[in-house]
Amino acid sequence: MARKKRRSNIQAGELNLTAMIDIAFQLLSFFVMTMKPTDVLALLDVSRPAPDKRAAQQQAKPINVIWITILADGTFILNDHPIKKENLDLQLTQLGALDKTQTVIVACTPKSSHGKMVEVLDLCAKAELGSLSVVSVE
Amino acid sequence: MRERKEEEYMSGNLTAMIDVVFQLIIFFVCTTNMQNSVDDRIQLAIAPNGKPVTKKDPREIKIDVDAKGHISIARTYVSPELLKSIVKKSMQEYGNDTPIIIRGDSEARHLAIQSAMNACTDAGIYKIKFSVLKEKGR
Repeated sequence: MARKKRRSNIQAGELNLTAMIDIAFQLLSFFVMTMKPTDVLALLDVSRPAPDKRAAQQQAKPINVIWITILADGTFILNDHPIKKENLDLQLTQLGALDKTQTVIVACTPKSSHGKMVEVLDLCAKAELGSLSVVSVE
Repeated sequence: MRERKEEEYMSGNLTAMIDVVFQLIIFFVCTTNMQNSVDDRIQLAIAPNGKPVTKKDPREIKIDVDAKGHISIARTYVSPELLKSIVKKSMQEYGNDTPIIIRGDSEARHLAIQSAMNACTDAGIYKIKFSVLKEKGR
């Protein structure tokens, strides 16, 4: 009799886990398939000149600032001289080593690519140049 | 006796596996971001030297500019005039230092970025941040 009682107790304690395991695996496969690794974002700070066009025309091109113009075809012009990206990187790094407060003005034409502007701003960030302005030129 | 042994061999101990599966599910539930308010169609330009985003300002206004030059906020297309009034309204509510973040597609022309920036400067904000990709999620 005693043996019979023990056996019935064991049977009552058993749980059927099949459904739970099914759900757990379905959830797991859903998350594995839909998971998308997140991109690391960064911010590039710039200043804009005042929108007063007359004031901008009256102001002469300042001498002590670095002008980088980006043309529609992706050419970089550093103070009126065309320059390759590698050389621009070198120049900005040297400039950053001398004076980190140096103002750099990035001038873009209406058809120049935003990606190219970001490239220049990135080079300035690499050289730790903090005073950056973006202007639009014709 | 032989039957009982066979039954024991058939039912393996699933406890460890269920533990691992639940831990994986908890990991995925905690790390998955279901809500995505930003426009996925915009391919941000890559700038490895940009300042990484450490904390978010709840006042920030994210302006999306897609490759075709359309300006949008929270997936809603806006005209430069409407953008200007939105920025002005935000400035009245949250102050003159309301952060403006422009998420421009790397293929976008500067003209579209310029009109978004001009709307901000017309409203009275001269400090603008460009959102860029520091590192792409693998």
